Amino acid sequence: MRSSPGLAQNLPLTSLLTLQDITVRGRGQPRLDRVSLRLEPGERLALLGPSGAGKSTLLAVANGLLEPDQGQVLWLGEPRARGTRARRRQQARIGTLWQDLRLIEELTVQQNLNAARLAAWGWPRALLNLLLPLDTTACGAVLQRLDLDPALLNQPVSALSGGQRQRVALARLLRQEPQLLLADEPLASLDPRLAADLLALLLELASPPRALLLSLHRPDLLAGFDRVVGLRAGRLVFDQPSASLQPAQLEELYAGSEEP
Amino acid sequence: MKPAAPLWVLLPALVLLPVLALLPGISHGGGWELVGQFAAAALRPSLDPLVLGSVLGGLGITAGIALLGWAGSLALGVVLGIASSRVVWRTCTGSAGPAGWIRRLLALPRSIHELLWGLLLLQLVGLQPAVAVVAIAIPFGALVARVVSDLLDALPTANLEALRCGGAAAPAALLTALGPPLLPQVISYSGYRLECALRSATLLGVFGLGGLGTELRLTLQSLAFPELWTGLWLLLAVMLLLEALLGWLRRRWAMPARLGLRQRAVGGQGREMVGAGLVLLPLLGAVAWALDVRPAALLQWQGLPPLGPADWSAVAALPWPLLIGNTLLLTLIAAALAVGLAPLLLLLVQPWPAGGWLVRGLWALGRLWPPPLTALLLLFVLQPGVLTGALALGFHNLGILGRLLLEASETSGVAQQQALVAAGTGPRLALLYGRFSGLARPYLAYGAYRADVILRESVVVGLVGATGLGSQLLEALSSFAGDQLLALVLAYALLTLLGEDLSDRARLWLLETPHGDGHPQEAGGTWR
Repeated sequence: MRSSPGLAQNLPLTSLLTLQDITVRGRGQPRLDRVSLRLEPGERLALLGPSGAGKSTLLAVANGLLEPDQGQVLWLGEPRARGTRARRRQQARIGTLWQDLRLIEELTVQQNLNAARLAAWGWPRALLNLLLPLDTTACGAVLQRLDLDPALLNQPVSALSGGQRQRVALARLLRQEPQLLLADEPLASLDPRLAADLLALLLELASPPRALLLSLHRPDLLAGFDRVVGLRAGRLVFDQPSASLQPAQLEELYAGSEEP
Repeated sequence: MKPAAPLWVLLPALVLLPVLALLPGISHGGGWELVGQFAAAALRPSLDPLVLGSVLGGLGITAGIALLGWAGSLALGVVLGIASSRVVWRTCTGSAGPAGWIRRLLALPRSIHELLWGLLLLQLVGLQPAVAVVAIAIPFGALVARVVSDLLDALPTANLEALRCGGAAAPAALLTALGPPLLPQVISYSGYRLECALRSATLLGVFGLGGLGTELRLTLQSLAFPELWTGLWLLLAVMLLLEALLGWLRRRWAMPARLGLRQRAVGGQGREMVGAGLVLLPLLGAVAWALDVRPAALLQWQGLPPLGPADWSAVAALPWPLLIGNTLLLTLIAAALAVGLAPLLLLLVQPWPAGGWLVRGLWALGRLWPPPLTALLLLFVLQPGVLTGALALGFHNLGILGRLLLEASETSGVAQQQALVAAGTGPRLALLYGRFSGLARPYLAYGAYRADVILRESVVVGLVGATGLGSQLLEALSSFAGDQLLALVLAYALLTLLGEDLSDRARLWLLETPHGDGHPQEAGGTWR
């Protein structure tokens, strides 16, 4: 059953992403052990857990880089596509913010922003993007959305400052126009102020119906999230509204690890 | 409009357009049946004990020649490299002047291809195993010398100055301060030289200087394809084993890789390296004894056929512009084919894992298969000429460049490629944008160096005729025209030196980091 984007805001008929009994084997114990999770359009979900809990693995399953050994991934209620083209179309709706940003240093900001559209573009346009500035208006608009000067468009990424890079990576994410934003510990190597700023920005960009799934090290930053999920040793420990999270649950989640 | 990095990598492949357009014109129609037989024979090489015995014998000689020539070039190269290092002269005598002169002198032996050395020596001292060994040792030695002196002069000198201030004698200070950082780089580089030496020894054999190459050529010319493939498969096995062994040692000793963007730390396995060196010495002695290499015999020159009086007007009447133009054209086409096809093929087969292995196999054959034999094979269907020679040289160098590109792309741009794939980008575009962006500069810089090697190498396809200086040279050699020979060798050397200068400039320009972005690309001089 299909619904127009306007309706989807009010009537979440199908979940955006559903993980059913996902198991990913590892050496010795599984990296994910029968994890089930449901993400509705517009939801903002934080993923907590000590390192090695399986947060990154879960995100890799979500963006399609990793195939689970068992279980099923549903996108908009349909099993994840097997055919490469259909699969890529699904992946194009899921945007990932990487901790190391993964910008292409040698290309200009504009070429990097347009690289987010490669899934939809054919070869001629992809090659032309390496020759001429394409879609300048659209690229300038996403930069402005992130308070960046559109004059940066023809700068090579290697010439940008650290803060600018962070924002260009976000701009690339917007340019992809995803329905789901994934972020793997985006706040890890940032100082507290920058971390708070980036988180605010991410929460703002993930305005409904776009959903956000973000793995987090610091439980003190949960304010803007609707739901929080705890992972420990590959298993789901809790999945509840973030407002109802108790300190005892956090202590149990991180027991034995040096983190928070 | 300025093409971005990933496009640079593909631009040389544009040479395919004119090449494919011209191919029908130089095809002579017949011979496809022979090519088919050749290809079919790959699956059923001859297993006749007689053939196997002779192939194994030839392979042993080729490997022995490679090993001895390589060892000789290292010994020569390290000594001459130290002798042509500015920092050594400055430390010992206070003036760096003589280093420059020695460097310039070494440019001449370096600029002459080992095949020419081999053929010249053959005329002087007759056929003996030592000829091929020396033919490899001379140009390789001069090349190693240049690399060693470049490496030495590029090392930081703070430690050296500190030791000198403390009153250490010059040789002791040099050895202590510069020896340890130099050694791993030289060892890593020498590994690559051994691979080159094996290829050169095979090539020299094709021209009758002994070993497997001779058998390969004879079996090809007598159309005995199953026997030919026996030799090829065995040679392939030896080459891949050698490459795997050297790669394993490099990783184990934490050596810098050839197209390494980051310099690795100094290897810590000193004892093992010394041990390997000690094993090598008796091995070299045994090989020399088995091959009957007698250095003394090199001094007994045979009587040359009476040389006519030099006829310089005839030399001047040679069509020089055409010869030089054809040589340059051949070099450019071959270089563009090799540099451009490697990334293009990788892109084409990217979606299929089996395709990746197919390409690897094709490249291994290209590296192994001496270019003159490819040229002879091409003559079954094509007319002799510049294009035929360029295709043969291009295929060989494609094998070398392709392997390098694969090696480098395993470590560079992995994360960017993954990010693109995760966002739904197709496998080919993810490879182009994600990996080739970062590789473009170092890869093309290596390509510029390779073009310089191809120019020197263009003599080896001279036997297919009409390929410029190369074929004229081989002709002068076989007709004992001493005056022509001298003029041609000098012209070749001059052209090679000019080419070397040009390719050095191109490389510097490509490797200079445009935006001081804090991670300088240190594709140093070690991958020559």
